[in-house]
This record gives sequence, structure tokens and C-alpha cells, in this order.
Amino acid sequence: MNNLKEYNKVFTTLFNINDYQLNKDFTFNNVEDWDSIVHLSLITELEDTFNVMFETEDILSFGSYENGMRILEKYEISFNDF
Amino acid sequence: MHLGIDRHRPERIAAIDDTGTKLSYGGLCDFAIEFGSMMPRRSIVFCLCENTIGALSGYIGCLSNHIVPLLIGAAIDRKLLAHLIEVYTPAYMWMPEGLVSEFDLPVLYKGYGFVLVRTEHERYPINDDLAMLLTTSGSTGSPKLVRHKYINLVANAKNVAALFDWTKNDRAVVDLPMQYTMGLNVINSHLYAGASVLLTEHNLMSPDFWRNIKDQRATNFTGVPFSYEVLFKLRFTRMDLPYLTTLAEGGGKLTATMFADIADYASRTGKRFFATFGTTETSARLAFLPAELAQAKIGSIGRAIPGGELFLLDEKGNEIKQNEIEGELGYRGPNVTMGYAFCRNDLMLGDEWQGEYRTGDIARRDSDGCYYILGRKSRFLKLYGLRVSLDRCERLIKDEFKIDCVCTGTDKRMDIYITEDKYKDEVRRFISIKTGIIMSAYAVFIVESIPRNESGKVQYKALDRKLSLRLI
Repeated sequence: MNNLKEYNKVFTTLFNINDYQLNKDFTFNNVEDWDSIVHLSLITELEDTFNVMFETEDILSFGSYENGMRILEKYEISFNDF
Repeated sequence: MHLGIDRHRPERIAAIDDTGTKLSYGGLCDFAIEFGSMMPRRSIVFCLCENTIGALSGYIGCLSNHIVPLLIGAAIDRKLLAHLIEVYTPAYMWMPEGLVSEFDLPVLYKGYGFVLVRTEHERYPINDDLAMLLTTSGSTGSPKLVRHKYINLVANAKNVAALFDWTKNDRAVVDLPMQYTMGLNVINSHLYAGASVLLTEHNLMSPDFWRNIKDQRATNFTGVPFSYEVLFKLRFTRMDLPYLTTLAEGGGKLTATMFADIADYASRTGKRFFATFGTTETSARLAFLPAELAQAKIGSIGRAIPGGELFLLDEKGNEIKQNEIEGELGYRGPNVTMGYAFCRNDLMLGDEWQGEYRTGDIARRDSDGCYYILGRKSRFLKLYGLRVSLDRCERLIKDEFKIDCVCTGTDKRMDIYITEDKYKDEVRRFISIKTGIIMSAYAVFIVESIPRNESGKVQYKALDRKLSLRLI
């Protein structure tokens, strides 16, 4: 599975949604279910999936579906392989 | 004035919230007087709380004028709110201005972004000693309230301020909701000492929370176990927090690993770590572990707070005098509340508990007089005649596999919920070996996530319901 698919799967599983619902509006502020408990699970899942360990600032500024990809790119996880 | 707030220099800051609004002790006293003139004493007021100056002022205004508030979260489920209103028929409500359109009720007064509205209900007689009402953390949809009297809140504020040695220079960040007994206790104990509370609606995962802690030079942080899970995920041990001197924990049990890690971190960085234990029924804190014992007594809740006394009871209700014997934890002290209310008439009731409360937790005491909580009395199963703690099993599994886990069940079978499919068989084998009970006494279920409420407590009933509906 490519990175984007893996990345999406973490979101769709955790938020119980479909791929098409993931877009630039999928943000911490917009999504009601995205509370601190879910955020903790999200970070943990992404760390396990991509075998990375986020810096504090990156966990705090994660903020949205799109920004999450920018952050993962800093950890050399590429989303351009599709 | 409530908590003796008029003892402090009027220009000292009592509270700061996310909007940057600062409220001095003098300002708080002035507000309380004005607030009190808006309605008769002994009125019941529903306060829809958020961690802001508006909510705090309303609470202080009520208690300073013998007006009786029920503190509930502003985000409370509207069905539950409607039910509480129907049962307790408050004559007034104090709420954020933004919510007033929901109710279509006449506004009597405004202050700090909050409004006081008059409902259609009339006042009714209540007990003279009744000071405040809170829901319990376990209340899910039930109108069960805890009846506080005045001395409970003041005694607990005073004794907790003494155990932490709070001074007027302390600055406590309060992200635990103020309508939650532990959050309120952080506020009360600091206001008693003339310190400042930094009220915040930001959660620990938001950059604003940490900016706030740094900019406002917070000295004290109090968290529930979930808060510390977040702190560790954020690698807070690597953060530069020079002003933060005291870390306190309450509202549930930390895993042994996490307890030890916090204690080590505190010791290494010259900070103080206090594990504490409290219940809504005892106006929050009833026990604490002195910071200097944190590394030696991992997982202990320590001893009674000043002015209180802990004891253990056997199954017949007799006090256990020997150490290292399991029994139900009881507490005597001035912070024990009056009892529960289930309906409006119950607000006429006097003090049913008379300063003594059984916690419903099973605990043991070591030879140094330090107590350890082993689990809820109701959270034990008798599997094949052996008493097994559900809480202990959860901790064992969490520590061994580093996964989230919940155990429930009946005396016939323990149901274990985990979130990782790959450990299904291993968990079952592991817990069978640890408890010495055959594997068929255990069933393991995989769930996507463990349902928790806003304070991080597991919603056991939701899990059981899912299972009975064969959704798992």
C-alpha cells in the first residue's frame, strides 16, 4: 500500500468515514469528533504506521489532514509516489 | 465572602482566562456583591460552566451570597440538561452570552460575557446548609447530584492549600473543567491562598495551551491520568518549563510506569510531583502522597489530607487495624459532603453522611501508613471462586502490551476489550497465566477505540451495550 493510502486509512478508521470526506476542510477546528482523545490516538497510529516519532511542535501544530502530510514529509515520508 | 477572597489585597490577580481578561480579588468581591443583589438568597441557579472568568465569577457570586448553584458544563448534552431542569426547576440560570438564544428567557444581568436569565420556575424551600450541587463523574444521563455544604468547600480548599503549601505567588493552570470536582478544587485551593488561576478552554494538544503556560509563567499543573498520557506523548520531559514547579495528579490511577516516569522527571528537574486522590462526595481531595515519597511509593495515594483520616473496612464493615490487608477505603473529615440528591425534594435533606464516606474502592495500607488503591469494589469479579480485580487486569495488559484495554464482565466470564487485533490470543494467554485461572474464563474482543467521556473515564456501559447488541 502506498503512503497516501496508509495515511488515509488511519483517518478513515479512526473517524469512521470514507476517503472522499478527506480534504482541505478536514481540520481539528472543523471536525467535531476530533478532540484531544482522538488526537492522541491519531498521533499514536501515525507514529506506528510510518515508524516515526513526532517532535512536540509537530504534534501540536498537526491541525489538519493536509498539514499532517506536510509534517510527515519532514520525516521523509513521501506522498508523491502515486 | 466565599473562600475568604476579601482577605487578599484587592489589586492581586485572582484569575486570567484565554481572552486575556484579568480579574483581581477586589474586582471579584465587587462582582459578587452586585451578582448577589440580582436575586434572593437560597435561589437555585444552574451555572453552565466553561473555564472562563464569567463562569468563575458566577460561582463565587453564588457561594458568597448563599445562592445555591449547580455547576454543569456549558456543552452538556441538551437532553440531559432539559431533564435536570425538569427535575430541579431552577429559578435562574447563569450561562455564556452565546447560549442565551437557545432558551428564550428574560435576561436580568450581564457580566464577563455571561448572562443571568430568569426561568419560569418559582423558588422553593431547600435545606439551610446546602451550598452547592455537582454531578458525579459517573452520572451519565441520571439526575444524581452531590449536595455540598459550606464547610466542605472551605475546609477542603484550606487543607489542600496547606498540603501543597500554595502561596499568593502561585499561578495554577486550570484546564480540568471547573464543574468537575478536581478542577474546582484546584481553583478553590488557589483562591483560598490568594494565588492566581489561569483558566483555559484550550486542550493539552493545542499550541495555545503551551503558549499560555509559558507566557503566563504557570507554576502548577494538575492533571488526570489521561492528561499525563498526553504530556508524555508530547515528550513534555524535554520541554523547557522553568517556571513550572508543581505537578499534581488525581482523578484516576496512573500506570506504574507512568507514575515512576513522572516521579523521576520531577526529581531530576527539581520539581514536585504529588499523586492525590479525591471524590466528588468529599469535595475532591482526601489523600495525597508527599512529593518526597513519590519515587519510593510508586502507585500510592499516600495518606489523608490535613484534617482528615483514612481507614479500611472488612466485608462486615469492621475497621481493619493490621497493615497489608485489603479492604474498602473510608474517609472521615470536614470535606465529606451531605449526601446525594435524586430529586427536588432531596434538596431539603440535611447531612446524611455526618463526615464519613465509604469510597467504594478496595485499598491496602503499607507499614508506613501509605494507601494503595487496588480497584473499585464493584470492579472485582469472582471467577471460579477467585476474586479478580478488573482494574488490575487492565493495568497488567496495558503495561505488558502497551495497548489500550478495558476489562468488564460477570462472575461467569471476564470480557477484555483491546484495540489491536494482533494481540488477541496473546492477551488471553497472558491474563490466564497472570491470574492462574483457565483461559475459558476470559473472552477478548477487538474494538476500534475505547469509549471515554470528556474527563477520560471509560464508558463501560457503552461497551457492554455494544457487546450485547452483537456490534463487536
